[in-house]
Amino acid sequence: MIKRYMEKTILIGGQAGQGTAQTSWLLGKALTQCGYFVFNYRDYPSLIRGGHNFNVLSISDKPVFSHRGSYDIIVAFDKNTVDIHQRKLKKEGFILTNNPAIKGKNILFCNTKKALDKIQAPAIIGNDVLAGFLFRIFNLPLSPLLNVAKLQFKKEIISTAIKEGYSLQAEKKFGAFNFKKKAKRNYFLSGNEAISQGAIAGGIDVYIAYPMTPATPVLHYLAKKQLKENILVVQLENEIAVANAALGASYAGSATMVGTSGGGLALMGEAMSLQGMSEVPLVVYLSQRTSPSTGVPTYSTQGDLKFALNIGQGEFPRVVIAPGDARDAFWRTQEAFYLSQKYGVLAIIIGDKHLGESNYTFSDLGKPRIKPRKFILEKLPKDYKSYLLTKSGVSPRGVPGMGGVVRATSYEHNEYGNTIENGFWTKKMNDKRMRKLKFLKEEIEKKLEPVEVYGKGKNLFIGWGSSKGAILDALGNLPGWRFLQISYISPFPSQSVKKEIQKSKRVVLVENNVTGLLGDVIAEQTGIIIKDKILKYDARPFIAEDIEERIKN
Amino acid sequence: MSNISHILKKLSTNERNTWCAGCTNNGILLATKRALADLILQKKVKQKDIVTVCDIGCGAKIFDYLNLSGFYSIHGRILPTALGIKISNPHLTVLAFGGDGGTYGEGVSHLVHNCRYNADITAIINDNQVFALTTGQSTPTTESEFRGPSTPLGTKLEPLNPIVLALESGATFVARGYALDVNHLEELIKKAIEHRGFSFIDVLQPCITFHNVTSYFQKNIYKLEEKKHNPNDFSQALKRAREWNYSFHEQKPVAIGVFYKTEKPLYCKETQVKKPFYRIKRAVDIKKLIREFK
Repeated sequence: MIKRYMEKTILIGGQAGQGTAQTSWLLGKALTQCGYFVFNYRDYPSLIRGGHNFNVLSISDKPVFSHRGSYDIIVAFDKNTVDIHQRKLKKEGFILTNNPAIKGKNILFCNTKKALDKIQAPAIIGNDVLAGFLFRIFNLPLSPLLNVAKLQFKKEIISTAIKEGYSLQAEKKFGAFNFKKKAKRNYFLSGNEAISQGAIAGGIDVYIAYPMTPATPVLHYLAKKQLKENILVVQLENEIAVANAALGASYAGSATMVGTSGGGLALMGEAMSLQGMSEVPLVVYLSQRTSPSTGVPTYSTQGDLKFALNIGQGEFPRVVIAPGDARDAFWRTQEAFYLSQKYGVLAIIIGDKHLGESNYTFSDLGKPRIKPRKFILEKLPKDYKSYLLTKSGVSPRGVPGMGGVVRATSYEHNEYGNTIENGFWTKKMNDKRMRKLKFLKEEIEKKLEPVEVYGKGKNLFIGWGSSKGAILDALGNLPGWRFLQISYISPFPSQSVKKEIQKSKRVVLVENNVTGLLGDVIAEQTGIIIKDKILKYDARPFIAEDIEERIKN
Repeated sequence: MSNISHILKKLSTNERNTWCAGCTNNGILLATKRALADLILQKKVKQKDIVTVCDIGCGAKIFDYLNLSGFYSIHGRILPTALGIKISNPHLTVLAFGGDGGTYGEGVSHLVHNCRYNADITAIINDNQVFALTTGQSTPTTESEFRGPSTPLGTKLEPLNPIVLALESGATFVARGYALDVNHLEELIKKAIEHRGFSFIDVLQPCITFHNVTSYFQKNIYKLEEKKHNPNDFSQALKRAREWNYSFHEQKPVAIGVFYKTEKPLYCKETQVKKPFYRIKRAVDIKKLIREFK
């Protein structure tokens, strides 16, 4: 007998400033405390007040990695939400609202105003009344919701409002939810939170940034934690300053990271090349948004893969890592610090708005693949050479202040870091820098699982980054398909990818961009051209239905 | 050998000097070495803790001629690089060597903001009023009517006054030196390094190949300290700064010395970690980090 899983999807919509994101997060977190799996998708335009914001919460008792496209409940703070989303309401679904102007069938009106008057709370607290009411409808105990609200918001009035909502009774026809609290709580985290904590897990000392959506939450998160974690977080005048200051900080011995989106990385281009020449370790978090140019700033696309692979003039080795979900993001960020510092290379973590701002649920967050280390010498040898030629291409790392002369340079140089222009040293140093790639690749393939295969079947999806969630959820409805996730794009795990492709019947590339950028990388690295592509480039992330429909039709 | 000459020797390298014969950069190099040697002798700084940051251009070659740790950075970016080094290890003495092209043109935003930030770093800007290593184009401080390969009809722009810019941007130590007065420049560099906060020195430096204005400077330069200038008086400093506008069409007095000096809170005073980050051993508790998500 096939076990039937519970799965419900709730859309929460309203104007910016009405608290849709906060309400959605609160419900999501509380549900994960009850042992459920929740995926929380956040959709908002680039404005502060008004407009239309919504969140989609997909809830299940089995792991869920993306949001669904049709809804069991629409929670509407305004009429616009109903107008826009009603067509995706399931037949048996209903609309929950506290707005008396919303009329029609399947409407469950919750008089939050009455409840608020009773407890003398402002209108915005109506969201919490609704949250409490939803927990009543779900048939769940109140305590997990109250605990989360208390911990997160630290305001008594919010707890009171939640209790008020929970005390209300819904008509029977709206109450067909049989959620059950489970003993085990789950982890609930966004990609950006995972990147931030992953940086701490990787031993970060300094984070430098200039605000740019969708990377900004990492700046906020780390800034808030800086005193507690004994790290330094600074915002500078522009991304050019950010990248150069980061290289300065790293040269002087800090484990350093910068975060930005495509436009900001473009400004950092010259400094990325400086990283290549100077071999000063640097971790970069690139959170893609919809480009070209300003594009669709608060939406998601995977359009910058080749940009990350190529930014910076000249040839130099680099690591490009594409985490697929928040759990990946945590560990991959830790690995980025390890690799960048061990090999003196640029490590770019490429994410996007969908990865960064969605909340994921996991029952287990897994284990580290490496032990974080900074790879700085305890003491400098007498005749220290900053660019000593070695078999691996990696020179033992000293920092200024240790006693000797420690140099970093943008110019071609000899082993001491003194400027040269002759052919002999130019070739030697090019070989030295490029030698690292072989050792990097070996270590990554041996220890870091650069590719992972999910599911069983003759047919193969290939994807990278945040499309992972929708592909994983689609696999459940597509027997005969498996999924190859490529997490390390540089150095590219060409042998493993080739092997998986060669043993598959049909191979389909799934990418959230216009041309299939990973497909080009695969062609370049393995000689295999994949023509079968599912591409999406309307600034919205994939949902499982997009992929299922394309395969079935 | 006297102590000072021993230290001077330790500050020098055997790299071949590739400046033009008679280049005024040699004056800046000598003044820097002497200033550092004296501060080392007085035990005010340690040679091992001095870090240079250099731009790209003729002046930047000083990187190879000083036996010091340093970061040969990219054009216009000395100040963010220096700032990064300082926040990473507050014990270091950071000297940023730039030029007028890089600091007042390509990287002028960094100058404005580093004047505001007030990190304890010293910026020494070789101002020869020309792009020399790219064969003589005009820079933001070049006088109007200057004819270079990119402005054959003469530039029609008024020069930028970096002293006024630094003062208005909030720098806590603003000075001007002259590359051909090595003793005076040495004293300025010492004062700048000893100043707690962002120190800015614009060093007038005739380029003997592309912009030789030596005779104008020899005739018009005077020392602020000889005119009873009060460096704590901001409006007096601005007045002195505006006496000469970096042009050579008229004879004007050209002040050198400290225009302004004040105290302001240092950059990131509240959040700066006091210990150098490279010496912080982090024992990361992964389980604890993960627990925050549960």
